[in-house]
Amino acid sequence: MELLQQYFQSSIGKKQIVALTGLMLIGFILGHLAGNLLIFKGPEALNAYAHKLASMRPAMYGVELALAGTFLLHICLTVYLFFYNNEARPIAYGYYQPTDRSISTRLMPYTGTLLAAFVIWHLLDFTFSDQTGTLSLVGKESLGLYGVVVNAFKIQWHSGLYILAMCAIGFHLTHGFQSFMQSLGLNHPKYTPVIKIISVFLGLAVAAIFSSIPLYVMFFARIP
Amino acid sequence: MEQTMKLTLKVWRQKDKNAKGAFESYQADNIDAAMSFLEMLDVVNEKLTKEGIEPIAFDHDCREGICGMCGAVVNGRPHGPRKETTLCQLHMRHFQNNDTITIEPWRAKAFPVIRDLAVDRSAFDRILAKGGYISVKTGCAPDASVMLVSRENSELAMDAAACIGCGACVAGCPNASAMLFVGGKISHLGLLPQGRIEAKKRAVNMVKKMDDEGFGACSNEYECQAVCPKKLSVSNIARMNRDYILGSAD
Ligand code: HEM
Ligand code: FES
Repeated sequence: MELLQQYFQSSIGKKQIVALTGLMLIGFILGHLAGNLLIFKGPEALNAYAHKLASMRPAMYGVELALAGTFLLHICLTVYLFFYNNEARPIAYGYYQPTDRSISTRLMPYTGTLLAAFVIWHLLDFTFSDQTGTLSLVGKESLGLYGVVVNAFKIQWHSGLYILAMCAIGFHLTHGFQSFMQSLGLNHPKYTPVIKIISVFLGLAVAAIFSSIPLYVMFFARIP
Repeated sequence: MEQTMKLTLKVWRQKDKNAKGAFESYQADNIDAAMSFLEMLDVVNEKLTKEGIEPIAFDHDCREGICGMCGAVVNGRPHGPRKETTLCQLHMRHFQNNDTITIEPWRAKAFPVIRDLAVDRSAFDRILAKGGYISVKTGCAPDASVMLVSRENSELAMDAAACIGCGACVAGCPNASAMLFVGGKISHLGLLPQGRIEAKKRAVNMVKKMDDEGFGACSNEYECQAVCPKKLSVSNIARMNRDYILGSAD
C-alpha cells in the first residue's frame, strides 16, 4: 500500500499513468474514427450506428463515464506535470538552444489544451445537439445526426476549426505514441526506430482521415 | 601558422547562492584557436585579475573529458555546440573570429549556483547514496566462467557506466530532469548479475530521492541524450521505468 502511494506520488508513476490513459484515448480515437467513416456510406448507415450506440444504454453510460474519467485523469496529470516541470528550473536560461526536439514534442501542452477545448465544443456541437430539430434538416427532411454533421460542415469556419483540431490531434499522437512506449519502458534497439516511424504515420493518418469528412462535405457531397 | 581570435563573452556572474546574478560582457583578445574553452577562460581570468575584477569561477579538474567536473551552457547548449564533447575538450577553433559567446551555469532548482558558472551538484551524490552501489560482498575477481554475463548486457552496462556525472542531461532537459543520470546508474548496476539482485529496490529508492531533490519529470523530449558528452541513450531511462514499475508492484 505504501509503495503504491509512493508510486502515485512519484514523477515516473504520474508519467506512466499519463501514458496509460493516453493509450486508452488512442484506442477510443481509433474506434471513433472507424465509426465516423460510416458517413461516407450515407445517412442511413451513420444514423443506424448512432442509434445502435444509444440503444446500448444504460451499459453505455458506464463506458462514457470511464472515458470521461480517463480524459480527466490525463488532463489533470499533464497539467500538474507541466507546472511541476517548470518549477524544476526557476531561473530560465538567457540563451537556450534545444537540439533535435521535434515540433510535435514541443507542442504537446498546447496541442493538448487545444484538444481539451475541442472536446467540449465537439460534445455541444454533435453529441448533445438536437438531432431531430432544425439543425438536422436537409431540404425539408430531417436527416438526424447525419443532417446535423453535414449542416455544420457546410459552414467554412466550422470545418476550419475542426480541421485545426484534427491537426492538433495528429501532432499530439506523433509524439504521444512513441512516448507512451518509452514511459512504460518498452524500448528496444530494433523496434524503437520502427515505432517512431509508426508514430508519425499514425499522427498523419488520424489527422488526414478525420479531416477528410469536413472536406468531403464541403467540396464533394451532393446533398439533396 | 598561429591563428588568433577576438571574442565577446557574455558571462553569467553571480556572487553566491542567494545573490541575484546578471550577464556581464568581457572582451577576449588574442585567443589561440588551438586553446580549449577552459584555457580561453583562464586567459580571460588573468586579464580580469590584472584589471582588479574578480575572475570568473568555473569548475574543472581533469581537463581531458573524463572527470565530469567541468560544464557550462555555451550558446544555449550544455558543453557548447559540439556533440559528445565536454567543455574542457571543446576547442576554440569551433568558433569564429568576432563571435559573441553566451556562457551560463547549469540551471536547475536542484543545482544551486555556488558562484558564477560553478553549481552545487551534490544532489547527484545524495541520489547515489540511496542505491547507486551493490551491497553484496563480491569478493575478489571470480573465475571467468563462474558467473555468465551475456555480451550484450556487458556492453550495455559499460555504455551506461560511461556517465561522468557532469549534469549536462539536467542542464539540457527543458524540465531539468535527472532521469538520464539516474537511468544510467540503474542500468549500469542492474544489467550485471551482482547488481540485478537489488535492482527493483534500487529503482524505487533512487527515484524517490531524485524527486525529493527537486528535479523535474521526464517528458520524453530526448534532449538529455542529445547533449550527453558520453552518449548515454534514453533506453537507460526506459530500463529505469521498467524497474520502477516492477519495484512499485513488489
Ligand atoms: C484525444 C485525446 C488524447 C490522446 C489520444 C492523447 C494521447 C497522449 C499520449 C499517448 C501521450 C503520451 C504519454 C507519454 O508521454 O507517455 C500524451 C501526452 C500528453 N498529453 Fe495527451 N492525449 C489526448 C488528450 C489530451 C488533452 C485533452 C490534453 C490537455 C491538457 C493532453 C495533454 C497532454 C500532455 C501535456 C502530454 C505530455 C505529458 C508529458 O510529457 O509530461 N492530452 N497524450
Ligand atoms: S574537466 Fe574533467 S571532464 Fe572536463
